[in-house]
Amino acid sequence: MQLTVNGTARQVASPPLASLLHVLREELAITSPKAGCQQGGCGACTVLVDGEPRRACLLPLAAIDGAEVTTVEGLGTPTHLAPVQAAFDRHYAAQCGFCTSGFVMASTALVEGGGGKTREEVIEALSGHICRCTGYAKIVAAVTAAARGDVDPAAVEVDEGPQQEATLIPGSPA
Amino acid sequence: MKAVGARLPRYDGIGHVTGRTRYVDDVRIPGTLWVKALRSPHPHAAIATLDAAPAEAIRGVHAVVTAADVPKNVYGHLEALGVPADEPLLADGEARWKGQPIAAVAAESEALAQAAVDAIDVRFEERPALFDIRKAFDDDAPSIHQWGPVYPHYGPYDHRRVRKGDLDRALDQADAIVEGVYRPQAIEHCPLETQTSLAVPEPDGRLTIYSCTQAMYFSLGVVAAHLEWPLNRIKLVGGTVGGGFGGKVDTATETINALLAIKSQRPVKWRFTREEEMLCSSTRAPWHMEIADAVTSDGWILGRRMLTIHDAGAYARFSPYGVTKHAFHHTGAYTIPNLHFDGFVVFTNRVPTTAMRGFGVTSVSLAVETHMNRVADVLGLDPFAIRLRNANRVGDTTGNRVVMHDPSTVAVTLAAAERVGHELGAQERAMTNERRAGDLLPAHLVEQQAPEGEHVVVHGVSGNGGGA
Repeated sequence: MQLTVNGTARQVASPPLASLLHVLREELAITSPKAGCQQGGCGACTVLVDGEPRRACLLPLAAIDGAEVTTVEGLGTPTHLAPVQAAFDRHYAAQCGFCTSGFVMASTALVEGGGGKTREEVIEALSGHICRCTGYAKIVAAVTAAARGDVDPAAVEVDEGPQQEATLIPGSPA
Repeated sequence: MKAVGARLPRYDGIGHVTGRTRYVDDVRIPGTLWVKALRSPHPHAAIATLDAAPAEAIRGVHAVVTAADVPKNVYGHLEALGVPADEPLLADGEARWKGQPIAAVAAESEALAQAAVDAIDVRFEERPALFDIRKAFDDDAPSIHQWGPVYPHYGPYDHRRVRKGDLDRALDQADAIVEGVYRPQAIEHCPLETQTSLAVPEPDGRLTIYSCTQAMYFSLGVVAAHLEWPLNRIKLVGGTVGGGFGGKVDTATETINALLAIKSQRPVKWRFTREEEMLCSSTRAPWHMEIADAVTSDGWILGRRMLTIHDAGAYARFSPYGVTKHAFHHTGAYTIPNLHFDGFVVFTNRVPTTAMRGFGVTSVSLAVETHMNRVADVLGLDPFAIRLRNANRVGDTTGNRVVMHDPSTVAVTLAAAERVGHELGAQERAMTNERRAGDLLPAHLVEQQAPEGEHVVVHGVSGNGGGA
């Protein structure tokens, strides 16, 4: 069977009933979709299939032969972030980061479809995603900012480590 | 002070949003085997038969381990701190909680590992199980542990005690005695990343373990102790945790993986299923707490009697420490001069309990703060005013003889009142945390005041999503 993954045509050898999550992670070594529950309950494995956000853990390969699959690896790079990625970073919408790939993909579909400008729209679109760390407020803020064009990806700072020695506590030896 | 108040980029933010942050499950080592465990289906049972040969005979199964394969099977999470051990890595003859691992298999695929687990010949004789900590002390309670119903190692006592002042006198002097019972229940940490590790045997005889642990050196010590290996033969690689919340302080998969990697001489990975994470990983403990306060009609708390019973589950793990935290915090942010505290770690046939966000403090604070409101209700007083009255002040000593140098109870209570729009009198609004003196120093607190001196702050912080 064949998939187009992040713009590249890939022949895949996994069995027809293998999940797309298994194909991506175990066969193609694309690890941004996470195996959070493998029951369709957490959203951490969400990828775009022909532009639509789908649970990779519930999707058998046979059902999507020939489809176009996009994961976070197919969005921006650290120096050229996509708007939703930049917004998540700028708004501190990730803590441990394990759910972030799924949130970013679902949010990308929402924003690229012209939605996400209001809190209600974002909550509706992301209702199937679980984040255990953030409490969601920062995620909603990030998505609405991206939808409204309030984030300039070029302005996001890439932390390249300490630029100079910082003394965090006055009088401390560090 | 360049960091305080500044808006700094997260060091891991770009990695998170580009999917480049590498969690344990994302590490790829060629030839990695999958691990599955045989777990007890009963909360309490003798293991009458255990024969792993049928699993070992399956083509594609590279190693099976049982208790007999563990150099040091019983090791306590806190043994290095002098807390005696009680928990076997793999159940030996008896299973004390539903889900307790009995054997583990490393095989070519996840499905094959599960098939091999299913092939193990195991038979149980069910035994009576205990689930209610309040029944642990009954004469007819099921015997589940070599130590009896409670963890017994608190110095000369079988429980944590605090004795201060003269509680009987305080009860005699009280205008009222306000009682309450508080029972917060177990909570699963529920990280999005389930318990996962990957153990890799190296050509030089060492072992590399990729781990999602919250406690690197702690896990290193636990693995080394079970293997009876020196620390320098094990390299633990971690630091990126897909959500911890305390649940990844326990060393859940690393040691069994190490045994399977050594036995098979292949890299082995064990990733809990979501079902395993919910049913078999440790939880926050359920507690039973009873408070009786000796109070005056104008809102002073003269004394407190407190009983706390901590449901450890089947093994002690960190529970003795949790009860010690209760002993430390059972007066909350308030100064109470006459105290009588008893805290017990009680064993049940539940999944062992462990640290979770504010370990020990959250449960006791729930009881203490709810009880403060109950005292206010009974006396017909303002709940904020009663907190301010009994607040820790500079120079006060706690039940554990710790002298307060800069307590924040007054400031925090005033701020909370303001934020919720709760009106306070002028006298309350003018309060600070300064030493009690003159009319504001009641007789029952005179002896609480200590001279000022130096103090040292020691803390340890680990990063599991806070960005620190």
